Amino acid sequence: MTLLAIVLFPFLWMLQMSFRPNDDIMGYSVRFVPTMQNYLSLWTGNFPKSFANSVAVSSSSTVLSLLIGVPAAYALSRGRFRRRRAIAMWILATRMAPPIAFTIPFFLAYRYLHLIDTVAGLVIIYLTFNLALVIWMMQGFFNSVPRQLEEAAWIDGCTVWGTFRRIALPLAAPGLAATAVLCFILSWNDFFFALILTRTSAMTAPVAIVNFMQYEGWEWGKIAAAGTLVMLPVLVFTFLVRTYLVRGLTAGGLKE
Amino acid sequence: MAPIGKPAGWEAKRSQALALGLAPALVVLTVITLGPAVYLVVTSLTPLNLVNPQSALDFSHPLGNYRDALTDTRFLNSVWVQIELSVATVVLQIAAGLATALLLNAHSRFLEAIRTAFLIPMVLPPIVVAIIWKVIYTPDVSPVHRALAALGLPLASLIANADSAIWAIVVADSWEWFPFTMLMTLAALQMIPSEPIEAATIDGASRLQLFRYIVLPYIRPTLVVCALFRLIDSIKAFPLIYVLTNGGPGTATEVTNYYGFQQAFNFSYWGYGSAIATMMVAGVFMLSSIIGRLDQRLGDNA
Repeated sequence: MTLLAIVLFPFLWMLQMSFRPNDDIMGYSVRFVPTMQNYLSLWTGNFPKSFANSVAVSSSSTVLSLLIGVPAAYALSRGRFRRRRAIAMWILATRMAPPIAFTIPFFLAYRYLHLIDTVAGLVIIYLTFNLALVIWMMQGFFNSVPRQLEEAAWIDGCTVWGTFRRIALPLAAPGLAATAVLCFILSWNDFFFALILTRTSAMTAPVAIVNFMQYEGWEWGKIAAAGTLVMLPVLVFTFLVRTYLVRGLTAGGLKE
Repeated sequence: MAPIGKPAGWEAKRSQALALGLAPALVVLTVITLGPAVYLVVTSLTPLNLVNPQSALDFSHPLGNYRDALTDTRFLNSVWVQIELSVATVVLQIAAGLATALLLNAHSRFLEAIRTAFLIPMVLPPIVVAIIWKVIYTPDVSPVHRALAALGLPLASLIANADSAIWAIVVADSWEWFPFTMLMTLAALQMIPSEPIEAATIDGASRLQLFRYIVLPYIRPTLVVCALFRLIDSIKAFPLIYVLTNGGPGTATEVTNYYGFQQAFNFSYWGYGSAIATMMVAGVFMLSSIIGRLDQRLGDNA
């Protein structure tokens, strides 16, 4: 318990800072009047827009990678492809590669394609990690769905993809939800890609916080409040799907 | 084997349908990963920069960037800083993760609830982790600095000092990532059969002996895999360095990733930046192939 308190202390300190009035931001005393002042001052700036950008980018990237990745995962789980192992290695390699290796070519290409500082541009680059994650995780979930039901459906005249939609997908629904949440969190948490590929109009919330620090001086209360808002969705999702999340966070590290 | 009672053509049709489902993902993956990879390597062979955009197709000195890197002391320094940072964070994370896992490894509702709370550092957005530690490391606002000052032990800023800056980053990074080792170790601990532990306890083994001779051999493969995974990911560390020290003071915390970022995006030497990134990818793949081989060997033994 003490250990937990020590570990979470830095985190809790930021949390309490976000509710402190600005003239007492350094205060130690536990007895202070919590204020929403910091949050209100965020509301009037550009922060709501960045927050909306983050939501838009993360959800579109999640939906897109599920649309492309889930059928692929099902195919890999059910079919017998000769290059299966090669595909698995390729997907793992995508996860391992340092982001800077993607950023330079994407940045240069986006300059020609006019995709710098656009939501679409970020959605595409987020596919580099989300798609691999979806295929990797969903393949595991599909493997654990029993095949007998599907075989019965084929005999009853269901097509391959009809079976996928009516039987395999509903059975893998909890896994699908967990995968979606993880994709969302990964995109939401990204800082590096957004820092390089956005300027003003598509700026996401994490980049916006850093901009406060650099251009508006050290308004600690405001920074702490913005940090709290950015981590809020992540924390909520984590507690909602924690069991499955563990599986995704350790993906590739443990044998399924 | 096709189940009995189905026409042979059905199996072929099924394979075809499945391949159709796989195709879009493969096409997209090719465009967004193989394409950029080729582009990166090609760019690394040119002196491409902002001043001279025509140099994108100048292959007169294909290995020029790589040769420059070998004599660039700032680059070599960044590799050294990277090794220091990676080794230190991995060791600290494994130690902290293992210790917490051993403490939390009991079947009780209470401990299970606590485990989730321990995951918080790992799931927080990295930029929030960076802010949290910026607060802790800035003497004016830091509760730690002020508490020490109140005790008469004022501490100079750790991140403004070239000798201590890297250790400040090591601590913050380990705080962020020790839950990963904790999670993996907990999973491994739960797979240990209870018989050998019971037998050893009856024979009078101490807790230390239990750990050393029974628990550790079981979880060693997991720890090795954890260490390698974290080693690879430690190469990507960015937001912490960006927010806490900006690579400084001087180049004290400028890791290779950060140096590549500066060359490419602050100075617009894209050719040189690409060469650095290419070398990083090569390094990462070498490490991964070690994991692959270890994984196979561990799998064979199991």
